[in-house]
Amino acid sequence: MDNIFTATFFVSIFASTIRLATPILLTALGEIYTQRSGILNLGLEGTMTMSAMAGFVCAYFSKSLFIGFLGGIVIGMICSAFMAFLSVTIRANQVIAGTALTILGIGFSSFIYRIIFGIQKLPPQVESLTKFDVPLLSRIPYIGTIFFQHNLIVYLAYILAIINWVVLEKTTFGLNVKAVGEHPRAADSKGISVTKIRYTAVIIGGAFAGLSGAFMSIAYMNSFSDTMIAGRGFIAVAVVVFARWNPLRAMAGSLLFGIASALQIRFQAIGVPIPNQFLLMLPYLVTIIALITVSKKAEFPSAYTKPYSRMER
Amino acid sequence: MPVSKKIIKITQAIFPALLMVAGALLSGAVLIVIAGNDPIAAYKALLEGAFSNSYRISETFVKAIPLMLMAQGISIAFKNQIWNIGAGGQFTIGTILSVVVCLYFKLPPIPTIILSFIFAFIGGALWGGLAGWLKARFNANEVITTLMLDYIATFLLAYLVYGPMMDPNGFGYPQSAVIEKVLRLPKLIVGGRLHAGLFVAIAILLLMILFWRSTLGFKIELAGQGNDVSRYAGINNKKIIIVAMLLSGGLSGIAGWNEIHGIHFRLMTDLAGSYGSIAIVIALLGNLNPLGIAISAYFFSVLIVGGNTMQNLTGIPYSLVDIIQGLIVVFVITRTAFKAESIQSFFRKRRYQHNG
Repeated sequence: MDNIFTATFFVSIFASTIRLATPILLTALGEIYTQRSGILNLGLEGTMTMSAMAGFVCAYFSKSLFIGFLGGIVIGMICSAFMAFLSVTIRANQVIAGTALTILGIGFSSFIYRIIFGIQKLPPQVESLTKFDVPLLSRIPYIGTIFFQHNLIVYLAYILAIINWVVLEKTTFGLNVKAVGEHPRAADSKGISVTKIRYTAVIIGGAFAGLSGAFMSIAYMNSFSDTMIAGRGFIAVAVVVFARWNPLRAMAGSLLFGIASALQIRFQAIGVPIPNQFLLMLPYLVTIIALITVSKKAEFPSAYTKPYSRMER
Repeated sequence: MPVSKKIIKITQAIFPALLMVAGALLSGAVLIVIAGNDPIAAYKALLEGAFSNSYRISETFVKAIPLMLMAQGISIAFKNQIWNIGAGGQFTIGTILSVVVCLYFKLPPIPTIILSFIFAFIGGALWGGLAGWLKARFNANEVITTLMLDYIATFLLAYLVYGPMMDPNGFGYPQSAVIEKVLRLPKLIVGGRLHAGLFVAIAILLLMILFWRSTLGFKIELAGQGNDVSRYAGINNKKIIIVAMLLSGGLSGIAGWNEIHGIHFRLMTDLAGSYGSIAIVIALLGNLNPLGIAISAYFFSVLIVGGNTMQNLTGIPYSLVDIIQGLIVVFVITRTAFKAESIQSFFRKRRYQHNG
């Protein structure tokens, strides 16, 4: 009991923290664009499940993981285009639209999977993405194992966090997205198409969620189940709020959720009598507290969840 | 109002819902054909699964009771334009407190059952009311807070059944001890699980019909239609948000009480399952109307009960039921968006709403 807290223990905890944070981070990064443009996509859970299924099916039949990831991303974009259609064009309530998308996504993915594969004793599997040890760096003791012995998507997620920050803060596109989320009428009068930007932002969100979903089925695991996303889509929404719409803070938020589940898995495996449910609860509590502090400072995009119409004043 | 006009009014209210259900079932049929099966055989199997014997018929009511209670609760929040998506968590707190009262309060049976009911209501109410208070006090977005509280309740339940409340004679299964036989709701039929909770559900249904005619119900509805309207009417919107969420959560808590005393008799992990999201669909299809909710709750429990039989008999995956649910929501929002004035501008966002 005393000697479990060794260096190896911590190294493996931190390494799996980084791995577990990856799908949450990827989805959160995309959702930051979506929410910054004023749309709350609560359908990410469904989108990710669809993409996990699509990614798996594509990889299974093409024998190419690249095609698998591509399939996941494309399906993610299609799902979120539907969300954009409901919330931007039809101007439906986004919470309800997101709920519909989640139910539909999980339903469709499990339906399609069953139709394609039927019921089998052993679930069909693919060769999942192998880890890629970064030359030299991965051989640094401890640090190497924690940071540089993952699969490529893991590295990509953290690089994308930085890229997204640059895009949001330093490019015209990022500025437009924020303008549309803050003050759609002003943005519209400056000639920015609110509809176009919102569609783009939601579909980018879908692409990220799609990559993340495919990550779950063909990189993190090697098979598909309709419960495999297990709330990660909703957690990503929490991380976005926790991170106050900043991609770099989203990294911190994802790692917080990651370490909670890494510790939980490990504690459970070695039977440490620590009630790990409180550990799992912690990130959700922190999110509520973070939400209170952001809401007071009114950092929410002003047009959050508000459909835009030129007709209305 | 003359009877003929009343009938026309009721038909007008029900017809769109029927149309949407038909549309969803038809889309489902198309999917079944694509999957290479016979849709008529599939739906026949579904109906058989729900109605072919008294056990199955009783199951349709057993499932409808908690779903209806939760959907009634959700409708209170939704009419106030508060998007409570954490009914599952409020339900969970209700189940926990019911079992706590039954196992640890050494009281005679009748007071125990009543106290358990009150605790379940208060527990659910506080869990929902907390989100309402956070919204009123800090402007914290209720969608996120109710969702987070849902997860927290699930983990709290898991902690209790793996830890302090685990049945000492339960061979280490993650479940609590069962409540005493005298505390269980009496069965209504032999060889089925239908229990006296049905009467509680009917009572709540009647109360809800009265509630929407009461001053408080009117205030909740009015406050949901825009801050300025209710402000001129002298309504304290912040207070109303908290009250609406208290009541909303309280009804889910009662649903939890009902499941403990009528069906499960003990705590287990994940008792709420996907009830929270199904109840949202039910509330919407029922047009946030008490009677409409009762009917759509029954419809959905037929789908749920029959769906498993359909899967076993025809090999069509149960997930078809989920797809039908999802499609119904899509139809509901599409319709309301095109006809915003239809149900008290239910989906129109409040213009002066401060989001947070």
